[in-house]
Amino acid sequence: MKTAYVLQKEIRESILTPKGFLWYILTSVILSVLSYLFLTNSELSLLDQGQMLYMIMNFITALGILVGLVFGADAFAGEIERGTMEALLLSPVTKAEVAMGKLGATLANLGILLLISLPYLLIVGKGGQNLLIGMVYLAFLATFLTIIFSAFSMGLSSRIKSVKNSLMASFFIFLLAGSPIFLSAAQRGTWFGRILDLINPFADAINTFDSVVVDGQGFVHQAGRVAIICGYLLLSLWFLERSISKQEM
Amino acid sequence: MKKLMLFIGMIFLVMIANDAPASAPDRIAVSIHPASLQANMGDKISYTGTITNNTDKAVNNIIVYISLANVTPGKEAPLDLEDWSANKAIKVDTIPPRATYEGQWPMRLIDSGSYVAYITAVDKNDNMPVSSPMSHLEIKRVLRLNPNNVMPVAFGEPVALGMVFLLVAFRRRKRVK
Repeated sequence: MKTAYVLQKEIRESILTPKGFLWYILTSVILSVLSYLFLTNSELSLLDQGQMLYMIMNFITALGILVGLVFGADAFAGEIERGTMEALLLSPVTKAEVAMGKLGATLANLGILLLISLPYLLIVGKGGQNLLIGMVYLAFLATFLTIIFSAFSMGLSSRIKSVKNSLMASFFIFLLAGSPIFLSAAQRGTWFGRILDLINPFADAINTFDSVVVDGQGFVHQAGRVAIICGYLLLSLWFLERSISKQEM
Repeated sequence: MKKLMLFIGMIFLVMIANDAPASAPDRIAVSIHPASLQANMGDKISYTGTITNNTDKAVNNIIVYISLANVTPGKEAPLDLEDWSANKAIKVDTIPPRATYEGQWPMRLIDSGSYVAYITAVDKNDNMPVSSPMSHLEIKRVLRLNPNNVMPVAFGEPVALGMVFLLVAFRRRKRVK
């Protein structure tokens, strides 16, 4: 109940504001440009439909993670910098409830992003195979990844107590997670590339999208990668719990 | 008369000599099918390459690959087939004596223009790669302005969100006043 109160407060302050809403318009504009180009540009429009869907899914997941990182970095450090942390801790809510409420707001934001992207996914994937199963995987994996990165960023925010520094550290981790994208297909095929792909939750997610949407492979092929992502999920929640329990004013 | 017969005989010998093969046939021969093709952008086509072993011994470890070159005036260049989703190289472990191997190269036609496709076989025991004759490919341009009804979503959704944004901003301002 108290978590719901924090969640409501966060949604009111971060999402239902003109500034917060501007992000959704920008997201929609970017998705419009992407899907319009995918379907009408003479070269891009001839990409395999699964490939287009896969690229849009990657974009939505990355966007969800990025917004989660920003929300997470601001969670505790932002309250401290604005001088509102004391008031929050004086209210009858525990630190864990504050953290869960803020994490809930991040997920509410992801939910809105997924709702915004739904028409684009339907248009780009229209008539193609693996659209529905791809959307199910997107909903689950984007949620898991947003929790992982947001919880980690929130933990850092609680420890570092500076929005700027925790945001920079979180972005650095995100870039590290996205590093397999910068490797060529041949480099990713080496033992080093394969290990990097496997232990990296972001790479695991995009490889799962590729496998499900482009290659049409079943859950058996995804189980290992999904298990690794679930492992990171537990690890990030543990890190958050440890960080807020050590938090001092 | 004898001289005339001798002259005609010599011409006949020269003609026979010209018709005879200049050298022994290649160890392997490569052909491509179809020999020419016309299609539209976005079509999926497939080339078939046939590699024939002309010897009495099995040939092993042959690498066979397809190449595509743009021959449209002003755009002459070889193509990176990764974008065209074609199979890359095929490794043929062995072709028995006097037997053939058939490989398929499916591809999606990404851009319009005039192209030539040919298949090459590389045998490490031979110094010369063997290529098939060129297959001419003409791809017609296809323009699609509103596929999958993308326009209403691509233009409508940002506008709809913008209107909700204005409504939220207006109500906030009204409340503050």
